[in-house]
Amino acid sequence: MDHFKALVQALGSQQVRFVVIGVWGANYYAPSGAATFRTEDRDLFLPPDPDNLVRAWRACEATGFDLRSDAEPLDVPRDRFLADRVVERRAAVRATNRQGLDVDLTLVMAGFDFETVWNERRTFQVEDVAVPVARLLHIVTSKHTAGRDKDRLFLATHKQALEDLLKKQQ
Amino acid sequence: MSVTLEDGLRALRESAELARSIRIELDDEYLRRIAEVEAMPANQSGSDKTWVRELIDASERHLARAVQVR
Repeated sequence: MDHFKALVQALGSQQVRFVVIGVWGANYYAPSGAATFRTEDRDLFLPPDPDNLVRAWRACEATGFDLRSDAEPLDVPRDRFLADRVVERRAAVRATNRQGLDVDLTLVMAGFDFETVWNERRTFQVEDVAVPVARLLHIVTSKHTAGRDKDRLFLATHKQALEDLLKKQQ
Repeated sequence: MSVTLEDGLRALRESAELARSIRIELDDEYLRRIAEVEAMPANQSGSDKTWVRELIDASERHLARAVQVR
């Protein structure tokens, strides 16, 4: 069973606005398997909208994900009041299921606001589920802006992989 | 040759140092490659990306079965 697909489907059913970002988002654009990257987690970028966030939490819980923030279980009740606090702090919430899949719900994407990313998203199909994904340009630019060690390692490998693949195709 | 905890920690330190030394610029060449990839027919909205997950799942299953032989 594809737990990530089930979560994306549930988010769609709850009419949650989100886009896939990060390494997993970049993987959807890979011209071939040689340009895909393994990642321990998946990143979803959500707008700073408390109602949207509450719906996202409901979708996570409905598909068997536990919610944590700052390594502690997310407070209950998971209502509009709590969502207001989370949005105010731009706090990240991590959804984890029993199979070890980690999905980060983030309200921050370095260098971008949500509406810009949302308006230029692509929507890909994974079997019967529509997956909204940020533009590759936005993902790469954000990683460059964030500049963490893992981002630099990704950019170095990604740049080389694209160069190699596109040269082969020419 | 057995791999010790110290070997593992040293490898992690070396990886961290390598990461810190890397400087990747979003130069014209990289941006042009990204634009080429984004423009591919397979990367337009509605494209089927089921293969991405299947490929990575298969890769992870393969790696999970790997054992060190020397």
